[in-house]
Amino acid sequence: MTARDGQAAVELEGVGKAFGGRRVLAGVSLTVPPGGRLGIIGPAAGGKSVLLKLIAGLQRPDAGAIRVLGHDLVAAREPELAALRKRIGMLFQNYALFDFLSVADNVAFPLLHAGVAADEIDARVAARLRAVGLAGSESKMPAELSGGMKKRVGIARATVARAELVLYDEPTAGLDPVTTSKIYDLLRADQAETGSTAVVVSSDVAAVAAFADTIAMLHDGRIRWVGAAAGLFDADDLVVRSFARGEERDGAAVLSRSVEAARPAPGAWP
Amino acid sequence: MIARRPLTAIGRRALDGVDAALELGRVAVGTIVGALISYWRGPRRRGEIARQMYFIGNRSLLFVAVTLGFIGMVMVYQTCLLTTQVVDGRGQVGAQFARLLVLDVGPSLTAMMLATRVGAGIAAEIGSMKVTEQIDALRMSGVTPVDYLVVPRFLASVIMTVVLTMFGMAVAWGAGGLTGYYSFQINPRTFFDLSMVAPAHVWLGMTKAAAYGAAIPIVAGFCGLRAKGSSEGVGAATTAAVIGSSFAVLIIDFTISAIGLIIWGAGL
Ligand SMILES: Nc1ncnc2c1ncn2[C@@H]1O[C@H](COP(=O)(O)OP(=O)(O)O)[C@@H](O)[C@H]1O
Ligand SMILES: [Mg+2]
Repeated sequence: MTARDGQAAVELEGVGKAFGGRRVLAGVSLTVPPGGRLGIIGPAAGGKSVLLKLIAGLQRPDAGAIRVLGHDLVAAREPELAALRKRIGMLFQNYALFDFLSVADNVAFPLLHAGVAADEIDARVAARLRAVGLAGSESKMPAELSGGMKKRVGIARATVARAELVLYDEPTAGLDPVTTSKIYDLLRADQAETGSTAVVVSSDVAAVAAFADTIAMLHDGRIRWVGAAAGLFDADDLVVRSFARGEERDGAAVLSRSVEAARPAPGAWP
Repeated sequence: MIARRPLTAIGRRALDGVDAALELGRVAVGTIVGALISYWRGPRRRGEIARQMYFIGNRSLLFVAVTLGFIGMVMVYQTCLLTTQVVDGRGQVGAQFARLLVLDVGPSLTAMMLATRVGAGIAAEIGSMKVTEQIDALRMSGVTPVDYLVVPRFLASVIMTVVLTMFGMAVAWGAGGLTGYYSFQINPRTFFDLSMVAPAHVWLGMTKAAAYGAAIPIVAGFCGLRAKGSSEGVGAATTAAVIGSSFAVLIIDFTISAIGLIIWGAGL
């Protein structure tokens, strides 16, 4: 339904991206089938967020090809991208809530701009806020929320328009294990209901491996490993296995980077 | 090899400059097209233009009154000093002052003040939305940031710059009249003389005011949308907006004055 039969929801081939001469992605190739759940792991500052923005059509790659929901993002012009983005939901790593709008207006925003009728917007926003456990916070402003609450508002906003593809950037960073598993239950329930495709970037390897059907590890600008989530912890590749298990590897920087990634930024949670 | 490095650096800077100029052009065209067409199509925040007008007025009313008041006083004082040195020309000061005020000083100095207050405010707001990815979040809903953020500020700024210019001119005129009366005993009936102000002057002055009001949010919005990094990026964008919009005011002043001279000739 999302794309034509047999066509991948997301397809990247040899995608490269550099910022000011610094190469962040150097030939990333990935495929996510419709309805699939891809988890992306990898060291901090490895380009995971950049990869999601490329898939969302918010940035353009320097090299390679990207197809999303049947659209060629490299060839597409801005109006086509704008129309395509309405079919994609995104949870930003730092929530990116509109600080001038209340919680309810934040969640309503994608519906408002999709031309949904006002009373239906109210009903869907209320239902969504109930699902993320924020009923009663409708009129609060983002500045009044804790980090975990902001994250849940972000999830509500990303999924309220029943997007065909939802991109989650660190949906559980800095959350306790109970909240983490609640959030993944929520993502699972959403996906079961809408049949959407999900791409989750996370530093919480165990939790994302439990949610995703496929895991890809981004390392040095490339996909170092991709396979069934169940096989991640026994991967043949030592770098991947030790990253996933959080084990020390002789003289390698992988572990320290992964630990750094798993730890929330100091002061991130009020 | 050694010789090529500085050249590539210069080349990259030149390309960045071209890139920025193109982007500024896109924001300008997008804003004007948005103000005429696309802004009115999609859903808009209710009362957004009125809210922006209120912000601009609230931020600048006192500021414009104080600066334009002092400038009126200083200009009249200095002119009176000069005109009383050789022959007594005090009778002419008011009429000439009114002409200069309407034609140039009122619109340009009001706009200079607005360039700092309003330009900085717009760049800081939009810039902080950029670095916190709220701009990207807007784009995820298919919203054009220029339509959503710059156009309402543009419309509000055009209206408010014209209004504040008239207000600033009135304050400067009044302050100048008081200075003339108390310091140089110019009769207010002589001072408040509009005989030198022709319709062409009013036209030109108000055209300038509207053009300044249009340029400030475009330049400031452009700077805000280009903000990078975190809070220091917002600071840099704000500074760039103040410099850029003040500069835009000067260029527009020069251009419109030149066009006025071409149309009306030396009789202006
Ligand atoms: N818009 C940008 N401009 C310049 N550098 C960027 C930009 N976005 C990301 N980067 C850089 O790209 C690298 C990867 O960033 P990111 O994708 O956020 O990493 P992560 O894997 O932690 O999500 C970082 O070094 C970051 O500084
Ligand atoms: Mg990231």
